Amino acid sequence: MSMVNNLRKTIKELLAEKKIDLFIVWEKGSLPLSATPLFITSEDEADRAVFDITCGNNLSVYFTKDRKQFSDKKVGIAVKGCDARSVVLNILEKQIDRRNVVITGVPCHGVLDKKKVLDKTDGREVLEMIDDGDTVTLKGKGYELSFDRSEILSSSCLACIYPDAQECDIFIGDARAEIPNENRLKEIKEFEALSSSERWANTRAEYEKCIRCYACRNVCPSCYCNVCFVDQNDPGWIGNTCEFTDSMIFHIIRNLHVAGRCVECGACERACPMDINLLQLNRKVAMEVKDRFGDIAGLDINGKPAMADFREDEKQDFIMG
Amino acid sequence: MKMVRLDKQKFNDFIRELSVEYSVYAPGKVSGKTGFIPVESGDEIDFTSTVTDMSAKSIFFPHSEVLFEYDEDGIRAAQTSHRPIAVWGMRSCDARSLVMLDRVFGSAVQMPEDEKFQDPYWKEKYNTSLIFGCACNEPLSTCFCNWFGGGPYNNDGMDVSVVDAGDVYLMEPVSEKGTDIIGKLSCYKDAAEEDKALAAKLASDADSMMIAPPDTDGLGERLTALFDEAVWEEISAKCVNCGACTFSCPTCHCFDMQDEGKGSRGKRVRIWDSCMFPIFTMEASGHNPRALSSARVRQRVMHKYSYYPENYGETLCTGCGRCVMVCPVNLDIREVLKRINVYNEQEK
Repeated sequence: MSMVNNLRKTIKELLAEKKIDLFIVWEKGSLPLSATPLFITSEDEADRAVFDITCGNNLSVYFTKDRKQFSDKKVGIAVKGCDARSVVLNILEKQIDRRNVVITGVPCHGVLDKKKVLDKTDGREVLEMIDDGDTVTLKGKGYELSFDRSEILSSSCLACIYPDAQECDIFIGDARAEIPNENRLKEIKEFEALSSSERWANTRAEYEKCIRCYACRNVCPSCYCNVCFVDQNDPGWIGNTCEFTDSMIFHIIRNLHVAGRCVECGACERACPMDINLLQLNRKVAMEVKDRFGDIAGLDINGKPAMADFREDEKQDFIMG
Repeated sequence: MKMVRLDKQKFNDFIRELSVEYSVYAPGKVSGKTGFIPVESGDEIDFTSTVTDMSAKSIFFPHSEVLFEYDEDGIRAAQTSHRPIAVWGMRSCDARSLVMLDRVFGSAVQMPEDEKFQDPYWKEKYNTSLIFGCACNEPLSTCFCNWFGGGPYNNDGMDVSVVDAGDVYLMEPVSEKGTDIIGKLSCYKDAAEEDKALAAKLASDADSMMIAPPDTDGLGERLTALFDEAVWEEISAKCVNCGACTFSCPTCHCFDMQDEGKGSRGKRVRIWDSCMFPIFTMEASGHNPRALSSARVRQRVMHKYSYYPENYGETLCTGCGRCVMVCPVNLDIREVLKRINVYNEQEK
């Protein structure tokens, strides 16, 4: 049985056995490059569930939407490796009750970044996409292009070492443990190798594009403050213009608020309508957290988030030193 | 009206001639994203995109706009001595959006003349502007301008309509301002009969590429009747309430005003706001009438397809498809409207 059929069967069983009230998964979207979230409450809807290269959304974000909208429900959720870490982080941070969630892992081979796809087509509209597992074929008006699927994968996927859920109740297929990835820190090391003025110029060029739509924040399962600091005006902590200083402060504060909590799923970067390289700073900070506290966000269901824990043997020098 | 032809080889001369009197804006790329930028020559223009990533509204209604500045010496209005603006390459969806915004900022049609609110910051830029359109020969699959009275060759809001006909642009004045400018500039020739025939053929080809719209008659009334229905919870379930749709939308025009000051000096800035954000309706008491996502999504749909049409007789959506393209969760407004049609008939 194919992976997707297996997933659908699992959803039906969970609903039939009344183990859950609803199941959060993806379905085919209205555009060839987009899947869309689906909330299944009855068995007959389960056949709409899909999982493929277009399923970039981290669905854990829905647990904390509208002040924990599902807190009185038993919820099943389909997760990639990164999404599973978000669920775990949300559990550790007491946003989800572990007993109320059925974590259902799906085997992930990476999700696409639309920006990379449009680079391939020189901005021409994609009307059809076929992914055979190795090669992706794009079709549009007057063109057809094929290339290795790794060329359009999200940068988060290219650096991923946990493609499959490490904590889950059900896994569709055989879950892989940590996988070797020589590109894990490649982009970060390249960034670090730049001079400080180059890093500043690079970061400035990225954040200058920001239009303050907060798509990055709103798709992020780690960004769930009841009232975000940008949504306060008494006092107003930061300016809301899209001048660089205002935007930079927003992104740096968000970056530090998710320190030790960012699972590097890349949902922020894929959601950004201005194609800002949002993962760069987040991954740099995640690397620092790993280096200093030995912690990878959302990996250990029995652990504690790095910023909520203290160990005597931690490095005591200044965190960003 | 008289159609003229501009040889593309003379395009730079045309832009140069236009620049004598006008600041010229056209589609261009900034850091890989397309939007309308000031240009001095045709070489800076991006001719490849059907729909630019950011709409043309920001030319006249920028994301952040200083309204006035103050210090110990008093209050000073923000600098308003702009040269008039000419825009090249505006698609029909964006040109129509400016007509819709002008009703709000410039000349509310239902008000008596002396009570009309006239936003000086908008008026000063828009009223003196000159809009060169650009008909769409290749509409995208996300385009739905034909749902609400528009179309790839619609001329609403343009001063001069422009058709890209291979080696030449075929231009036709649509307004008085358009007739004046065509009379003033010199770098083109009168169009021939075959040019007119070609423009008509391209227009009918483009129209035939559009997908037939669903029935949108009476949409506003249907929406009003659905205000309290559970359908909004279903529609908004996947929305994460970011502002990508509202900020990329050519017709969304809600704004916030903030005072940015220190000590005795500062400025008041008008900044794009979004009905998707919780603070948008947060009241001083702490109560938020639109605390939940469903209420905010409903507001956006109602404003576009019910409230604005009630006030001004036309939908506040030009079907440009930008919100469809940028939505991070693929909440497709076309699907929402189709759902509303069906819900009304079957479930209410």
